[in-house]
Amino acid sequence: MAVEFKKIEGDSIQYIALVIILAVATGAGFYAYILDHEIGGLNGLSNRVPWGIVNAGIPYFIGLSAGSLIVSALAGVFNIKKYKVFSRIAAYMAAAWIIAAILSIALDIGKLYHFMNAVRYFNLTSIFSWNAFLYSSYFVICSIYLLVQFEEMERATRFMAGLAVFWAVLVHSGTGAIYSFMYSKELYHSALTPPMFIVCAITSGLGLLLANLYFTFKFTNRELDPSLIRGLGLIFAGLMMVLGYFLAVEGLEKGYIPGLHEAVQFVFLNPGTGVFWSFWLLVVFGIAIPIVIILYPKTGYDLRWISVAGILHAALVFAERFYLIVPGQVFPEEYLHGYELKSLHTLEGYVVSYTPTIFEWLQVIGLVAMVYLVYVVGVKLFALIPERAVEEVVEE
Amino acid sequence: MKSGGINMMSRRRFLILAGAATAGAILTPQISAKTQFVESPEEVESNRRWAMAVDVDKCTECMEELIAKTGDEKVKPPCVVACDKENNVPEFEEKRFDPQWMRIAKLKLEKPVNAKEFYIPLMCNHCENPPCVQVCLTKASFKRPDGIVEIDMHRCIGCRYCMIACPYGARSFNFRDPREGLKEVNPNVQMRTEGVVEKCTFCVHRIDDAIAKGEEPIPACVEACHKYGKGALVFGNLKDPNSEISKILRENIVVQLRANLGTDPHVFYTKLGGE
Repeated sequence: MAVEFKKIEGDSIQYIALVIILAVATGAGFYAYILDHEIGGLNGLSNRVPWGIVNAGIPYFIGLSAGSLIVSALAGVFNIKKYKVFSRIAAYMAAAWIIAAILSIALDIGKLYHFMNAVRYFNLTSIFSWNAFLYSSYFVICSIYLLVQFEEMERATRFMAGLAVFWAVLVHSGTGAIYSFMYSKELYHSALTPPMFIVCAITSGLGLLLANLYFTFKFTNRELDPSLIRGLGLIFAGLMMVLGYFLAVEGLEKGYIPGLHEAVQFVFLNPGTGVFWSFWLLVVFGIAIPIVIILYPKTGYDLRWISVAGILHAALVFAERFYLIVPGQVFPEEYLHGYELKSLHTLEGYVVSYTPTIFEWLQVIGLVAMVYLVYVVGVKLFALIPERAVEEVVEE
Repeated sequence: MKSGGINMMSRRRFLILAGAATAGAILTPQISAKTQFVESPEEVESNRRWAMAVDVDKCTECMEELIAKTGDEKVKPPCVVACDKENNVPEFEEKRFDPQWMRIAKLKLEKPVNAKEFYIPLMCNHCENPPCVQVCLTKASFKRPDGIVEIDMHRCIGCRYCMIACPYGARSFNFRDPREGLKEVNPNVQMRTEGVVEKCTFCVHRIDDAIAKGEEPIPACVEACHKYGKGALVFGNLKDPNSEISKILRENIVVQLRANLGTDPHVFYTKLGGE
């Protein structure tokens, strides 16, 4: 066999400490959820902004999952043998992230014990309803794909890789459509969102995977060939440019519509709000700087710098989700065009603010910690990472 | 041999139990908020379509008088008070999660200097093409054959997708248990819990009651508006050509909010700016 996958020992103090830290963070997230629901209203949400960062976790985690899976399947679909070394770890992460996404839905909804209704009743016209089906089937496909890899079934792996990529694109376009098909909110409504979601998924999934590979190989003292990472890094940088292009086109189109001038000004030029910062931090630290890091020869071949770029981008894609979900809610809609409308008894007609509270952050961080807990435990239980990842390994 | 027999038995019993549990989970009859009509849905659809008309002129007059009398800019007029009381709409200190089925909004044209301010009530528009019903994951939001958009509280999972989809901000989420914000409870209206979405139902309980008795239905807000206000609200059946609302729609230019979206809302605003 060309690539040897091997479990890690996982008996060092550092390993156990890492497991404990991740477990505590996960526990804190679920505890924050319980407090939020027992006491009620500990989040920053309102009847004007009913979707906050826990909801943003849904597209974020699904994006990371879809991105990770697409990277994993690169080896299978296009038969790029040198990337086969990463395909298990990426597929495993994809399955872990989709669990986080489904849990994110569970934490976000108001009536957890009605959750099965989402599976039992199907509304053909609801995009979210379709996605409930897509997410669960996606998890099954991820798992089978991983299984056939473990069993080293060559043809089945290639077939499942193709199916997984197709399903990942379907799932994530569907997730984008949940938001972007909402015609009631002009700042939501954009046909560019689903394709942007796919690009964003690959970049964020890939970015995190690059960092993940670096740290995993470093701490397990395995060999990782920078030239192997370089190829992935270039795909990463190229797709970030595509993402920046999409964002620019979308923003400019909105800005061209006189009816949206005020809203666009509020979103892009008003530094007093989180919306403004979510967008510009994404552009500067999430897109521009990571691209420079990858393309600049001194840092572009350095695994540490590539990891920094990957983490920066993946973290700020969460800001992209915030920028997608929040502005359409905080900026009031015009009920009767041309007239200024202000409600006497609710917050309708006013620009409302939404600041996520610590209870919401803990839930999002808890889910991220859970995924890494699943990963850290996974590399001990399953043969996920190759003993060495260098170009020649697969040339034999 | 004996133990094998027991094992066989328990396995069979296990299979029966598992099968029964699965069947139970899938086939349990659902508690449903859907009203059982005596007539068929098609009959209802061809006989009744509920709608409301608002005389903005009268509404503004009422609000101006009320504000002048109380000195309170945010005073709740009789219609809103009646709605809150009738439908067990709670009152919470924190405005961000205080549910409000009916509320009054101030309208102003930005153009002229010292533009006059108008007042209009806002509520669920009971759209012909309701976006909330379109997006609901579980069909908890549904449209009845008589046009009323309702929420099945037993089915709602509280995802709030309908709130995002509603173009009229008509929906409130129960961040808290509504009973915490109620002084008295009207037992005729279904009590909601924490974690579901609620909104105006056109006082569906009154409508069903009146239809069963063969009377003309009247929602709480409309009743209060005629009793204590200026009679700005008119409720009725659009399928009846002789109803007052049909007459109003025939004889006036009416405005639907955000009509460009194609939702076809069924709250019509008339006499904007006084005629």
